[in-house]
Amino acid sequence: MPLTPIPRLWQAEKVSHSYVADYKPFSFVDGEGVRCSLYVAGCLFKCEGCFNERAWSFRLGEPYSDELGDRIMADLAHESVQGLSLLGGEPFLNTQVCLEVVSRLRAQFGRTKDVWCWTGYTFEELMADSDDKRALLGEVDVLCEGRFEESQKDLTLAFRGSRNQRVLNARESLATGVATLRTEG
Amino acid sequence: MSITNLDHAGQQAPAAAQRPTVSVVKRDGRTLRFDDSRIGAALTKAFEAVHGELGAMHRRSIEQLVKRVDKELAERYIGEVKIYEIQSVVEHVLLEAREYEVAQAYIDYRVQRDFARSKATDLNHSIVKLLDKDSSVVNENANKDAEVFNTQRDLTAGTVGKAIGLRMLPAHVANAHQKGDIHYHDLDYHPYAPMTNCCLIDFESMLSKGFRIGNAQVDTPRSIGTATAQISQIIANVSSSQYGGCTVNRIDELLAPYAAMNFAKHEADALEWIEDPERQREFAKEKTRKDIYDAMQSLEYEINTLFTSNGQTPFTSLGFGLGTGWYEKEIQRAILQIRLRGLGSEGRTAIFPKLLFTIKEGLNRKAGDPNYDIKELAVECATKRMYPDVLNYDKIVEITGSFKAPMGCRSFLQGWEDEDGDDSVEGRMNLGVVTLNLPRIALESEGDPGVFWALLEERLATMHDALMYRVQRCTEASPGNAPILYVHGAFGKRLGPLDKVDTLFRGGRATVSLGYIGLYEVATAFYGAAWEGNPDAKQFTLSVLESLQSHAKEWTAESGYQVSVYSTPSESLTDRFCRLDKERFGSVADITDKDYYTNSFHYDVRKNPTPFEKLDFEAEYAPYTSGGFIHYCEYPVLQQNPKALEAVWDYSYDRVGYLGTNTPIDRCYACGFAGDFNPTARGFACPSCGNEDPRTCDVVKRTCGYLGNPQQRPMVHGRHTEISARVKHMSNDVRVPLSALD
Repeated sequence: MPLTPIPRLWQAEKVSHSYVADYKPFSFVDGEGVRCSLYVAGCLFKCEGCFNERAWSFRLGEPYSDELGDRIMADLAHESVQGLSLLGGEPFLNTQVCLEVVSRLRAQFGRTKDVWCWTGYTFEELMADSDDKRALLGEVDVLCEGRFEESQKDLTLAFRGSRNQRVLNARESLATGVATLRTEG
Repeated sequence: MSITNLDHAGQQAPAAAQRPTVSVVKRDGRTLRFDDSRIGAALTKAFEAVHGELGAMHRRSIEQLVKRVDKELAERYIGEVKIYEIQSVVEHVLLEAREYEVAQAYIDYRVQRDFARSKATDLNHSIVKLLDKDSSVVNENANKDAEVFNTQRDLTAGTVGKAIGLRMLPAHVANAHQKGDIHYHDLDYHPYAPMTNCCLIDFESMLSKGFRIGNAQVDTPRSIGTATAQISQIIANVSSSQYGGCTVNRIDELLAPYAAMNFAKHEADALEWIEDPERQREFAKEKTRKDIYDAMQSLEYEINTLFTSNGQTPFTSLGFGLGTGWYEKEIQRAILQIRLRGLGSEGRTAIFPKLLFTIKEGLNRKAGDPNYDIKELAVECATKRMYPDVLNYDKIVEITGSFKAPMGCRSFLQGWEDEDGDDSVEGRMNLGVVTLNLPRIALESEGDPGVFWALLEERLATMHDALMYRVQRCTEASPGNAPILYVHGAFGKRLGPLDKVDTLFRGGRATVSLGYIGLYEVATAFYGAAWEGNPDAKQFTLSVLESLQSHAKEWTAESGYQVSVYSTPSESLTDRFCRLDKERFGSVADITDKDYYTNSFHYDVRKNPTPFEKLDFEAEYAPYTSGGFIHYCEYPVLQQNPKALEAVWDYSYDRVGYLGTNTPIDRCYACGFAGDFNPTARGFACPSCGNEDPRTCDVVKRTCGYLGNPQQRPMVHGRHTEISARVKHMSNDVRVPLSALD
């Protein structure tokens, strides 16, 4: 069973080393359209059957740098790229990196590029947690959330691995305070 | 382009006085300038056969021997010398030098070559090869099932046709074909029979004016169902009268008037039985929609179940997407829905017909365009069934001079106006293809561009003669040889029994194709395997195609027949040329060691560019090869992400004319797996349970411009290796989500 987050204990400022496990431009499998995928390093959920177990370590890969940020912005500028995908690891335990990249994205592209984020937290857990988490949530368009449950694994699902996970319209969920499923298109 | 350094071998010669200034009369009748580097190459081969790897001493001996041969020839001959006279001098020089074993090897090699040359035109030898089920004979075409009687009969007839055809060809063309300098395509049909290759059948006039097949005079259809039934009959008959593919151009617009007849009939019924005018209309529309669907479904099944006299399902393509009316849109939608559903109870992916969906700015390209909903359906269909391939309207017009779907898989007609000055494409055809082995020229040049251009010029002279012979042979047909084509309208005109078929070919109405293969290998020979980012290498490859194009233009002007440059699909040629060159040059890294040559101008399939990089790279080439081209990108499973495929289609719109999608859609009915089957030594196996039984799995790969079922019909070695080497054009992501197709 994956661990349950402890709100005051699990804080990005305490656990994150601002490492990036991987960066993949022009991905066809991380969300809708062609995307640039940033895999931040470090996760505490430790879901059984995790697709990216190596990235549980907060020291996998390289520290985030301005150069990487520049490269991500340049790749995002490609006319065919729909947006940025934040994956991990756990983006909400690496909010320093994620907020930095997302704020650069908004400054440069406004709402013309979207942000998808994969997290082990549920929407409700994020709402009840620290300011940095709610700040990042506020910049996300589509939130694929919840722990990966091996017993509920289903590879036919779009953009998620187990049936308990939800793909939410993050902006609408935040506006109403209620988790709202994303409708196609 | 200048042809420099024709006398390249002369550069190193210390004693130019001894160099014979004779011309060589080859076995095939050509007269070429004497070139002693060919003697050096033959002697090197003979030395290697005796001594294995050669040292410096051996190389000096060879040099000395070549000089003695030169001296001897210079003393003995003035003007012309026959090739066997040169060989005799070489033998004597070897014997005088007491190189007995080398002389033996040299003579043996010559004799073997003479035998091989004779065998190819010897019927008995060809028939023994057929009886032994030689895979280069039985698996040459992935669309032919070599197990069944009518394929076997076609192969038998083809064996005879080929042997006779080789004797009919001009001797130097036959020789160049047998050596693998060029490939004279479809020798099993042509020149033995004066057959044409592929066409856009003029269905519009055939359906509207009626036609005859065999004993039946067929009248204009009164419904879409009858129209599609007639279309499949015409396709079967045309495919038996030519050897290449045929295309229904703009089928949605072609069939709309017949669907309107169904509507009129249903409307009449509605008036009789229904009161409410609104309901009358709804009834007629609903009934017509069902008729359209049923008619298009019948067409899909009929084409897939057709079997022509060639022993194959005819290579058929349907072009659609430009019609805007209600009927046209319903027809477009039905074509895609039927393809999405699949064939039979298992919903297998249909291999035929190839679907060609046209995208046009303002019509269906962007959200809000009137036909955008059809484009969305087309994208979905491509993620699940690979087809449709996409034609970008504006680019096709820009590259080929007018809009039309390709004939068969990729052969494009060039813009042409009929006698009334109207742009016309229906009923036009391609007379055939000869393909040039470009990598061989690069290998022979040994890094010297001057030699490359000179050899290219020499080979193009043979190509010219081969192409002109193709045309001439086609003109020798009489209308009675292929009534469906010449008398009953498929080629657009209805000729009388004594009319000349040539009137349908001349002045640009038909094309004949100067094909080529292996541009990647050409640049690799000069710039190394990773040349794609090197601007000099790119420029070099572009100038190769530019040279082909300028020759084609020249030949068009002088002959009155449209010669077009063609990026050959090379389904089995990818194997043949490479195999022959491997025998000759050995295993050359990134050229012959792969066991296949790269198709046309395509990016090395083993590399990993993004689809965008690949399209940018290839876009510059297609305008030089307007007689035939296609671009593919390799993707991961896309079924959950049609938007990503659409992003590539959109990107391609201003860049390339014709784009195909290659994405894993294999299915295992034993374990339920859906995705990409793993290549094995000979075929493909389910990665989940290892199943490779064609009865319980559906493996679909791109074999040329068409898709194929390699598990049911094995391919030649080189094509299989090439498909296995293809890398997805995306980051090396291991997490491919496997989604159900339905």
